[in-house]
Amino acid sequence: MSTEIKGPQDLEKEVIKADLCTLCGACVGLCPYFRAYKGKVVVMDNCNLSQGRCYSFCPRTPSNLEALNQFIFKTSYPADSLGTFQKVVMAKSLDKEILSKGQYGGITSTLVAWAMKKRMIDAAILTKREKELLSSGKVAKNKKQVLACAGSNYIASPTLEAFNKSAGGSYKRMAAVGIPCQVLALGKMRINPLEHKNDIEKLSLVIGLFCTWALSYREFFQFLQQEVPIKKIGKMDIPPPPANVFQVRLPGGVKSISLDHVRNFIRPTCTVCLDMTAEFSDFSVGAVEGISGWNTVILRTARGQELLEDARRARAIEVADMPKANLNHLKEAALLKKKRALENIVKRTGNKENLLYLQGTDSLRSLLPS
Amino acid sequence: MTLSKDPLNLIITGVGGQGNVLASQLIGRALVRENFYVTIGETYGASQRGGAVMSHLRISRQSPHSPLIPEGQADIVVALEPVEALRVIGHYGNPSVSAVVNSRPIYPTAVTVGEAEYPSMKKIEKTIREMAKKAWFVDATEIALSLGSPIFTNIIMVGALVGTALLPLSQRALEEIIKESFPVAQLSNNLKAFERGWEKTRGTNDQTSSSMVVNRS
Amino acid sequence: MSVIKKNAPGTSELLMGNEAIARGALEAGVQFAAAYPGNPSSEIIGTLAQVAQEMGIYVEWSVNEKVAIEAAASASFSGLRAISAMKQNGVNVASDFILNLNLSGVGSGGLVLVAADDPAALSSTNEEDSRFIAKLGDLPLLEPATFQEAKDMTKWAFELSESINSLVIVRSVSRISHARGNVVLGELPLEKRTARYDTSKIFIPVAVPLRHLALHLKQGKVRETYESSPFNSYVGPEDPELLTITSGSGWFYSLEAVNTLNLKDRVGILKIGTTWPLPGKLLAKHMAKVKKVLFVEEVDPFLENNVKELAAEWSPEVGSWTFYGKSSGHVHPFGEINPDLIINAVSKVMDKSYSAREKGYGQKATEMTKALVPNRDLGFCPGCPHRATFWAIKAALKLDGRGGFVTGDIGCYSLGLGPAGFFQLKTMHAMGSGAGLATGFGQLHKFGFDQPVLSVCGDSTFFHAAIPALINGVYNQSNFVLVVLDNSATAMTGFQPHAGTGETATGSAAPIVDIEKLCSALGLRVETCDPFDIKDTTDKILDLINDKGGVRVLISRRKCALVEAKEEKAAYKVYVDPEKCLGESCGCARLCTRIFKCPGLIWNKEKGKSQIDEAICTGCGVCADICPESAILREEN
Repeated sequence: MSTEIKGPQDLEKEVIKADLCTLCGACVGLCPYFRAYKGKVVVMDNCNLSQGRCYSFCPRTPSNLEALNQFIFKTSYPADSLGTFQKVVMAKSLDKEILSKGQYGGITSTLVAWAMKKRMIDAAILTKREKELLSSGKVAKNKKQVLACAGSNYIASPTLEAFNKSAGGSYKRMAAVGIPCQVLALGKMRINPLEHKNDIEKLSLVIGLFCTWALSYREFFQFLQQEVPIKKIGKMDIPPPPANVFQVRLPGGVKSISLDHVRNFIRPTCTVCLDMTAEFSDFSVGAVEGISGWNTVILRTARGQELLEDARRARAIEVADMPKANLNHLKEAALLKKKRALENIVKRTGNKENLLYLQGTDSLRSLLPS
Repeated sequence: MTLSKDPLNLIITGVGGQGNVLASQLIGRALVRENFYVTIGETYGASQRGGAVMSHLRISRQSPHSPLIPEGQADIVVALEPVEALRVIGHYGNPSVSAVVNSRPIYPTAVTVGEAEYPSMKKIEKTIREMAKKAWFVDATEIALSLGSPIFTNIIMVGALVGTALLPLSQRALEEIIKESFPVAQLSNNLKAFERGWEKTRGTNDQTSSSMVVNRS
Repeated sequence: MSVIKKNAPGTSELLMGNEAIARGALEAGVQFAAAYPGNPSSEIIGTLAQVAQEMGIYVEWSVNEKVAIEAAASASFSGLRAISAMKQNGVNVASDFILNLNLSGVGSGGLVLVAADDPAALSSTNEEDSRFIAKLGDLPLLEPATFQEAKDMTKWAFELSESINSLVIVRSVSRISHARGNVVLGELPLEKRTARYDTSKIFIPVAVPLRHLALHLKQGKVRETYESSPFNSYVGPEDPELLTITSGSGWFYSLEAVNTLNLKDRVGILKIGTTWPLPGKLLAKHMAKVKKVLFVEEVDPFLENNVKELAAEWSPEVGSWTFYGKSSGHVHPFGEINPDLIINAVSKVMDKSYSAREKGYGQKATEMTKALVPNRDLGFCPGCPHRATFWAIKAALKLDGRGGFVTGDIGCYSLGLGPAGFFQLKTMHAMGSGAGLATGFGQLHKFGFDQPVLSVCGDSTFFHAAIPALINGVYNQSNFVLVVLDNSATAMTGFQPHAGTGETATGSAAPIVDIEKLCSALGLRVETCDPFDIKDTTDKILDLINDKGGVRVLISRRKCALVEAKEEKAAYKVYVDPEKCLGESCGCARLCTRIFKCPGLIWNKEKGKSQIDEAICTGCGVCADICPESAILREEN
């Protein structure tokens, strides 16, 4: 990799202070100098090293997508808006318990629990929402713990902190579920772990989640506090267009808030993100527009396919073909995110040759604004 | 007993908390007992919290003197900490000065933080021998630790000073003062500490103390 | 150990200036002493407290200097001789009472105030010349120049006080108060007076202009007495070329300068011990012989300017002089004076060259110091609870992220200004100023201010001055968090007991004034924490910062490490496991030695590992919780 690895002070300057931090948590839990607190990454003290894992792993420091793609998939970074993949299918869980807790088809929770049951993994890094809507990474070791983390979360969570803190422990094979920036960070960890190794070899399964954007915690929380009783919130949901609402399930029913209001709290860093489907995972999971109760699953690696197939055969899940119209819709949406991101990046840098943190993206040339 | 010079100027220096004040008092009172005029100037207070401290002793047969020694006028420097010996000699030293130095460093935070360097004991010893006429190096902290606590360092150094015979004070004179200064329970340890220091330098004109120049940097 | 009670008149002892002052008070028959600790005055009342029981006198540590002198005045009003002692800042605190007491008089007992200044602020927040209070209040002032004088002047001050029914001020400085020298002891009186308040007398300053006039008349009497005082003396030739007028510690330095420069037959030294009101006739007599006058004194040109005032009055008859001193810059108008400065001044005025030592050696010495000798910062002692509290405060404010800050106060924790306390304190002024400022900051939200404000103060400072500010915060509904650093001591000044420690100055049991209960009684939310439990302390601070309402209090309670070391064995044996220590690599980057900076932790450059210096470590075990790799281990002792 040609990318220069710098240190924590550069990370602070280039990413955190530049409002590019995704709160993925990749820099947290490696050392005492970075902590995640109430939706922000806080630099606690001045680490004087000129090179650090924090800078190496961050999905907003120079990231060579070509090199990463080669490392994981052994192919070039594609022009396809969904990234490298083998197949796109629809799937849904056949586990009633999971269906009641999970979002849409419950596939993520089912497959994680399944992988645990079959001892393919002994722990999974998931995201759990807790008091006052604050989410953080959790290590789940059994189905019950997996279920406790089920449900969509639209607010950024420093989930990878949990990986950093638990990888050194007794687990042998770990899975991680993350949104695109987190999945990118995990990829960077694998491609260049630096001297400390970080036990990244233990990561054996990465499940990506579709993501258009994530919300900034502190500001969104303040806003939502005034709209609904926070303590009573059950699930949160953003139904597909043309709905344009943000829905909050309360004991008395569902409250809808205009999505336009909620968009005010989108993290600035999301506007420069071109990955809607977590391109560097083993497989990615999202909703199916217009078909409730099912998930879209983009299968990328052999490992991902094997897991799906295994679960299907055992009737833990049901798999179906993805209707062409839905697949096209998905690709369009993903392409739109790519274009918008590149537009915002070029606006920011003022130079088509400087794509901020993106490197190795020759295949996307045609998507650059004119 | 007579003074080699009048006034005779002695500086006891170290790091705040090492007990230079007690050491200076013991010496001062012993000298007053021998009918000398003694003035002792001290730095108290904030510098005790880890800063550099000094006791200036002016010893005279003729009259009292100011509690501060002028630049370049120290006759004897007793240092409870090695780099403090350099600091004091730097300002108060002259070609005739004698130095009795404890060999164990206490690192300033500037050093432990990595902002400053602490010179090696070898360099310190070499420099002191270049700047002073006579020098003794005593592993007082090590002896103190062997007696059970680093707090004995200052008494050991008082013993070492008396052993050099640079001051008109005998071993007995100091032991009398020590007996008057400590409660019974602490007496034997302090007398022992004093003697161990005295043994290190007595009868010698100038030397590196046996073996231990502990290199800790 | 207290030699000041020794009943052996005529013997010579090595006494500290403050001990000599205490002895002088005893020889005068003092029966009441009150003070608040303050460097360089603390040992005066401290020593008296040690002998109080045996000598049958009353000695107390008061809550602050104003109360101290008020308490002492009650004794003089009742016919007993009383003394109070304080540092320059204490004089400021007591000044309102002093400047009424001058008009009301002190009663039939003598009352002496010892004001001990700290030039160069070696152990203070400011540098100040407390002699001005004497001029401001038309009060007699004495300045001892030697340790013998410290005793003799203090003793005589009581006589003077009674003869004119006025407070008398004895002004000392660090180099007198804390230095030691030979003192010949005098007699200790046998007589003890009975206290009784004559109810036919009233002690009020009213009617003010008349009393002011009366005060000036008193001054005139004092001036007459001063003209022939043995505390003023001259050494030098009959007809000097230069007259050095000096007071206090300047005396020794002037002598040293003149001797060192070999100018004994050309420079005369007039020592003034009775600095205010000035003995004008004596001054005129000596000044008539010269055209050049050099003033040598500590801090401000008090003596200098007062003499110049007289000189201006005399000038139509006597002509004029060339004055050298702080105004001309020959003596620094800031900082502390010392023999070298005065040697320099005299050598300049007399145009006689001087070099302290042989040039080559001097040069080498300067170079050597620069090249080899690192600075020694002040810091918290190993095991100090303040280090842990400031570590938690730093973490909490960083996590909070709104630019929160800390207003500071006076005590050991003032070192929180610097690297030892992670630069957390942003302000420091007088006792209680931290809380005073905080109650103001806590109102600024009306103007868009959104930064959390913390104020720290020590337990002794709390009782001294923080309470009114705290009540102000309650009454005016200000938003801030007061962190009381309760280490059960007035540590910086020498571990004196106070209202919260359960012990009096003389060592007897005292009721404990409970800070927690007091704050609760004000209706405040009060939390307590152990600073050594850093996680809990950090969480509590964050919780308190985010609590929406008013004044909140956190009491961070743990005994001072130095007090603890005297009372208990070390809690833990602490050591570093070099296998686990990451040292300089990613994941640690020397957090313990580079950022936490307890002096018990040292960096072994050769091995690239941290290690514990067992000669320094006090075994508190806090660093074990700081280490990200759990490489610092602690075993219970």
